[in-house]
Amino acid sequence: MTRNSPDTPEPAVPEPELAEPADPGQVGEVLEQVRGEAIRLLEEVPQPRALRVQAGGVSVDVEWANAGQAAQPVAPAGDEPAEPAAQAAEPAAEPDGPHVTSPAVGVFYRAPEPGADPFVAEGDTVSAGQQVAIVEAMKLMIPVEAEQPGRIVTVLKDNGEAVEYGERLFALEPEDAG
Amino acid sequence: MSLFQKVLIANRGEIALRVARACRELDIATVAVHSTEDRDSAVVQYADEAVQIGPAPAKRSYLSIPAIVEAALRSGADAVHPGYGFLSEDPDLAEVCRDNGLSYIGPPADVIARLGDKTAARQLMAEVGLPMLPGSLHPLHTVAEAEQVAREIGYPVIIKAAAGGGGRGMSIVHEAAGFGAAYQQTRAQAQALFGDSRVYVERYLAAARHVEIQVLADGHGNAVHLGERDCTVQRRQQKLIEESPAPKLSREKIDQVGELAVRGALAAGYVGAGTFEFLLAPDGQFSFMEVNCRIQVEHPVTELVTRMDLVQEQLRIAAGHPLSVAQQDVERHGAAMECRINAEDPDRDFAPAPGVLDEFWPPGGPFTRVDTHAYPGYSVPAAYDSLLAKLIVWAPTRPAALSRMDRALEEFQVRGRGVSTTIGFLRRVLSDPRFAAGEHDTTIVGRLTSTKEETT
Repeated sequence: MTRNSPDTPEPAVPEPELAEPADPGQVGEVLEQVRGEAIRLLEEVPQPRALRVQAGGVSVDVEWANAGQAAQPVAPAGDEPAEPAAQAAEPAAEPDGPHVTSPAVGVFYRAPEPGADPFVAEGDTVSAGQQVAIVEAMKLMIPVEAEQPGRIVTVLKDNGEAVEYGERLFALEPEDAG
Repeated sequence: MSLFQKVLIANRGEIALRVARACRELDIATVAVHSTEDRDSAVVQYADEAVQIGPAPAKRSYLSIPAIVEAALRSGADAVHPGYGFLSEDPDLAEVCRDNGLSYIGPPADVIARLGDKTAARQLMAEVGLPMLPGSLHPLHTVAEAEQVAREIGYPVIIKAAAGGGGRGMSIVHEAAGFGAAYQQTRAQAQALFGDSRVYVERYLAAARHVEIQVLADGHGNAVHLGERDCTVQRRQQKLIEESPAPKLSREKIDQVGELAVRGALAAGYVGAGTFEFLLAPDGQFSFMEVNCRIQVEHPVTELVTRMDLVQEQLRIAAGHPLSVAQQDVERHGAAMECRINAEDPDRDFAPAPGVLDEFWPPGGPFTRVDTHAYPGYSVPAAYDSLLAKLIVWAPTRPAALSRMDRALEEFQVRGRGVSTTIGFLRRVLSDPRFAAGEHDTTIVGRLTSTKEETT
């Protein structure tokens, strides 16, 4: 079994809202604008309660549950206040988009056997249920399958690397994204 | 002979932490394995390494032999400690460890298999001369055969799964009329729970005491017993309070039973720490019940009276060392008692009551030990058993230990939304005149819970 986002319940990550369809180039520009705006605002206002950055068809909302404390709307890593808004505006799947995760503790293999072509490469489109790798645990070959359709953005582990249950193996870009 | 370099702990909760502490004192590195649910657990913080082996359901994490052995091999562990529960009495784990060059901290696989089969264990122990309740020494295959045995024993009888344990897969039958149905039901239950429908029948003692003998055996043919624990305060075969010495039993009687247990351990080829469970009838007659092939929840009781660290003994034995004590060196001092603090609601039939612990203040003070994995802010998962903490006290005498335990229970503060504990109920048991006098039997919990229902 594979699943996405296996970690702790995700914090309220603001998703860029697309008010209307736009072409990819335009979206990139607008996102860049939003990111710059967010960083600027966060530098000026040290402890905001809530923040909305809007540019073109994109708006990002960030709310701080406890205004008196350091803002931590995104990751448990304790990033700087500027990070959340900037990260949230990233269009790609990193770091909190869908992932294919390890179904077991074991060794990660990208190909069905040594020397064979890998199941998938970066840039490949995969369908739901498609095998994308193998995790070997105690000589048991456990197939790793994509849970949802999408494009392989990044292969996060090396062939032969030891992985734990739930560890991220591939970053996926959902099929319907941009 | 050296000890291990690195031990993988194939368990969770307080026992995982207990094992990790023993390892640290012996300068052995530790690997914790955990499910996604337990990623913030105390042992994960404490151990030198941690490997996430699976999701919350134990079947795919703490009960997954491939996941555990894979984690052991990749982390370079040279031994596996199974703790109690989970895979601790599964001969397959012991065997797979051995086949992969890992030391298993427990008895050899074939010994676990043989003693895990209750009828085989009864047969062996009867041959060695341990006293038995009247009953069948072989599994029964037809209802007619079983009814015949029940008639010979005399009612009430108890039908038990041959592969059973932990108080599951057994039925009490009070008269011949109910036997057939109970027999079929227990077989079906045994099949469902243990994948083995074989059952046997023995006499049922409605009011008895539960007394067990702790043994240690090494791989060199030596075995000793460390005295007894009285675990009479039980609810549905789940122990709530354990103590040593057992009240109102002579040291001579215990040593006699202890010697029989040692004889049984040697006959079985036992290696490691194990427990021989006995029922003690009102007439003072001991009857062998079963052998537990693992460290037990209540082992600290024995540690406090013998001043021995049982988990360290397990590690030394598994590493091939001979026992550090001979029988004449085993001393037993004073009185120790353990209370199990469970996240359960005694007012709702002891239903599990998990949740986040807003407050968690364990007691302290002299001769007061708390073995727990809980901490303020800890979220007690609903996925596993409800044991939250073990509170163990020692005092020179039983009455002093009782006072100390009550004082410590009173200090123990646990609060959280939806969280209930057995603390209040345990204090009720302590204040029961029959318990205080050491004149209680296995019916005590039923008596105290029903009294409460009548008065409210």
